[in-house]
Amino acid sequence: MSYKVTEEGNISTVHLDGEIDMDVTEKAKEVIFPVIDSGKEVHLNLSQVQYMDSSGISVLIESHQRALEKNTKVIIKDVSKSVLKVIMMAKLEQILNLE
Amino acid sequence: MSEIAHQDHIEKKAFLVNSSSLKDVRVFCREVFEKLHIQEDLKDELVLAIAEAAQNIVKHAFKNSASPTELMVVQISCENNKLQIAFYDRGTPVDPKKVKHREIDNVKPGGLGTFFIQEIMDAVEFKDGKKPWINHLVLTKQL
Repeated sequence: MSYKVTEEGNISTVHLDGEIDMDVTEKAKEVIFPVIDSGKEVHLNLSQVQYMDSSGISVLIESHQRALEKNTKVIIKDVSKSVLKVIMMAKLEQILNLE
Repeated sequence: MSEIAHQDHIEKKAFLVNSSSLKDVRVFCREVFEKLHIQEDLKDELVLAIAEAAQNIVKHAFKNSASPTELMVVQISCENNKLQIAFYDRGTPVDPKKVKHREIDNVKPGGLGTFFIQEIMDAVEFKDGKKPWINHLVLTKQL
């Protein structure tokens, strides 16, 4: 998994690239959580993530819940069809902020 | 159920029991499913189910601390359009009664892998592991 973080005004965008599984969840958290903790609105761009398993879904849930605790929000952008399918299988499409 | 008659096929591969192997498990599955001409959407689902089962071996049967040489085996077979995926490992014996996913409406991290497996596959069965194996999980799906 690789990543890029961009900032524009009060929005930080985390672009993830690759497959998100148990092997990379800690790395994903290390990238995403500090951005959430900064208090900015976080956009998680998943357009280059073609595979995500239950561990990756857990990162999305944790990020969402962490953002609520910090009075900000995580918006998940440009989800690929394959990842959206997994999010929907987990019945999270109404819980997570998807755009 | 697929209208395509899938060729009978059997293939197995051993993997080190660690999280780095999960990608290799997925690559192996995708290669076998290519040979079986399984359609793309179903292939993605099957790969997810298999990877989740392999992850459970790493995370639960070995509690993320398998010895560096410990192996698990994944066997994919297709016979009469019935797909069977068998897993063999030498981790802590699994009590099938304790294998359950979290309540899906109780949104929290974790507990989804088993749910995905059950959603995708037709049957999930723990069988007696014959020596040298301890756990033998079998997932089946009618194609």
